[in-house]
Amino acid sequence: MTNHTPLLIIGTGFAGIGLATKLKRRGYDDFIMIERADDVGGTWRDNRYPGAACDVPSHLYSYSFALKSDWSRVFAPAPEIWEYIRQCARDEGLMPHIHFNTTLLEASWDEPSALWRVVTSNGEYTADVVVTAMGHLADEKYPAIEGIESFTGEKFHSARWDHDAQLDGKRIAVVGSGASAVQIIPEMAKIAGQLVVFQRSAPYVIPRPDRAYTEAEKRRFARDPESMEALRSEMFWGMENNYAQRRAIPRSIHEAYKVANGHREAQVSDPEILAKVTPDYEIGCKRVLISDVYYPALQAPNVHIEAAALEKVDGKTLISTAGNVYEVDAVIFATGFEAIEPPFAPLIHGRGGQSLSEYWSQGMQALDSTTVTGFPNLFIMNGPNTGLGHNSVIFVIESQIDYIDGALQYMSERGATVLEARPEAEAEYVDAVSDRAAGTVWLNGGCKNWYVDYRTNRLTVTWPDFAYAFRDSNGEFVPEHYLTA
Amino acid sequence: MGVVLTKEPVDEGELVVDGASVRFYDSRESRGSRNPIVLIHGTTGSTAVHFGFLFPMLATRQRVVSIDLGQPTGELTIDSFRRQVEAVIDRVLPDESITLLGYSLGAVVAATVAAARPEKIENLILVAGWAKTDAQQVLRNNVWNALYASGDKDALAQFTVFCAFGHPFVGARTMLELEPAIAAVNVTEFGVAQMRVNRDIDIVDRLGAITANTLVIGCQFDQMVPNRHSLDLFGAIENARYTEIPSGHAVVFERPAELHKHVDNFAADPRRYPAGIRIPAVKP
Repeated sequence: MTNHTPLLIIGTGFAGIGLATKLKRRGYDDFIMIERADDVGGTWRDNRYPGAACDVPSHLYSYSFALKSDWSRVFAPAPEIWEYIRQCARDEGLMPHIHFNTTLLEASWDEPSALWRVVTSNGEYTADVVVTAMGHLADEKYPAIEGIESFTGEKFHSARWDHDAQLDGKRIAVVGSGASAVQIIPEMAKIAGQLVVFQRSAPYVIPRPDRAYTEAEKRRFARDPESMEALRSEMFWGMENNYAQRRAIPRSIHEAYKVANGHREAQVSDPEILAKVTPDYEIGCKRVLISDVYYPALQAPNVHIEAAALEKVDGKTLISTAGNVYEVDAVIFATGFEAIEPPFAPLIHGRGGQSLSEYWSQGMQALDSTTVTGFPNLFIMNGPNTGLGHNSVIFVIESQIDYIDGALQYMSERGATVLEARPEAEAEYVDAVSDRAAGTVWLNGGCKNWYVDYRTNRLTVTWPDFAYAFRDSNGEFVPEHYLTA
Repeated sequence: MGVVLTKEPVDEGELVVDGASVRFYDSRESRGSRNPIVLIHGTTGSTAVHFGFLFPMLATRQRVVSIDLGQPTGELTIDSFRRQVEAVIDRVLPDESITLLGYSLGAVVAATVAAARPEKIENLILVAGWAKTDAQQVLRNNVWNALYASGDKDALAQFTVFCAFGHPFVGARTMLELEPAIAAVNVTEFGVAQMRVNRDIDIVDRLGAITANTLVIGCQFDQMVPNRHSLDLFGAIENARYTEIPSGHAVVFERPAELHKHVDNFAADPRRYPAGIRIPAVKP
């Protein structure tokens, strides 16, 4: 049996739930959402490793249309963020729309019928319009390491944490030193017999101005929602200031180094460890991390930092590129996610059967970061050039929600059945993004990062400008950019 | 030299006007169709101090020229500064229509330039400016002068920070966190002369001559130039629109990115909002 729906939304993380909320609130509720897992929440459902938290304060990392007065802390722990999005899905009446345990296998544009045929693990769907809301950081990335299959102990990725694994007192290796790793390492240091950290390159780490909100503050937010909005605005513009660092503006770079170097020097006393954790590239080229507990953990007596990548595994023996050898019982991969080539790209076929990954063989691109020539009636959330290194991605998601909602309303007002990005509009947009990217630290900062496509050296993951400029550019549907039928 | 605004060095030059040394900085590259923008700093400021964020960020989008005002040999008046700005514009941008931005006392100067040279100043941005000094400003000026005369530099610096930053900004910080801002206060003889000019500004009669597309930006928690002055400018300048930033007078330090957004949007399309409109804030 085939389900037909005017609108199929794939994914129930912040993007999918946010879009569905906006549609439902304006009285549009003829849509289906599919979700591969058995619950909503996207990255916050998946990333349940010890110490998981967000690097954006919670009053900002939440929907502008669903403020929450009782966040427990400035940076709420991951389970609280997950519960928030679950609550939003329930409050907005979205649960009946969601087909759980339904994994996208293939989606193909059916030219004669002008609709999408979507094959899932749980049956087939046809849809007039498809929105992929599958996240930047959904599918874990493992480095290719010789002999890894021979490892006989526990091994798993940070996003697929094995909560049954017995790690207490064990010899543990954490591979990676990025955003997940700096949260996991302090937790593992507490329980490990021995912990070794494989660090390919040292991150910049700055203080985390976290604290619990008092009951009085929470009640004040509830009684005076305007003060929540003022705080949100202050947080947003405060983070927005940091974009100047990504443009290597001297005043901002100077301030950023002062903060990061000061934090490192204040927290690390051992000169040998200090040398290992001092980065060798320009600040901001990789994500700047925030933690008050990372450096102290690295100096615990049971922790060793190996300033080299993991090269080889042989049974329980791990060998670094520097030739150092460690015996361990468990390996945790905090090695990040597939962002350059989104995992859904090979599954989606547009006109003529061309897949998104074929179309994107020279790197991802989309008109207004949302739609792709040759893929009619398809909207991509968190797609090309939507990531932010310096501010809340919820702001980008809400901009895309407004754009897609505008497109859907335009189609229904015009009675259009097919909406497709004009190739010249897409090309012009891609050029404009390249212009914005020129001169940013991601391209010039002397580091390897996951924002730049390794095939073409084009910045395809991150939005290379202020967040406000994303909304100015892509927050409103532009009919002139489209062909309709 | 010694002023590092952008990663790539910018052109620098100097003019002498009424005996004053007037430095200017020019990013040169136009990068598109916008008018060049000219920046005028505020009291006791300079390009480096007030526009360390705005100059380089705007320069990623358009040509930016900024002026370091100087002290003339004779009496310092608002028209001394007006002549300095006009001299730089005529030297550096003789053929172009320009967008002129002034901050604080620089906004007063910018308004006088726009009134004197309506054919030249196509667009005007007045940040935390005013048209006529009022009693609240004179009171602050009196206390400032008394502290300066007392020689108590620390008290003067603390008073300056107290007045310059908005109460939400100051209130959310510890004294330790405010120390760098206090330590950065540095008063020169030229600064004292500027404070004297601030005491009796009255350019009300000139505002009618301004024809430029004008953006007035008021600062909601401004205790130095309370934003009622910006609303007065909004009322007095025919072709003006208004927006507000929730910061103190020191908006260039408190909310530089938000200030940049309003300037950037206006410079890209000055008539996007018609005259008479209050431009809404971004709701993040």
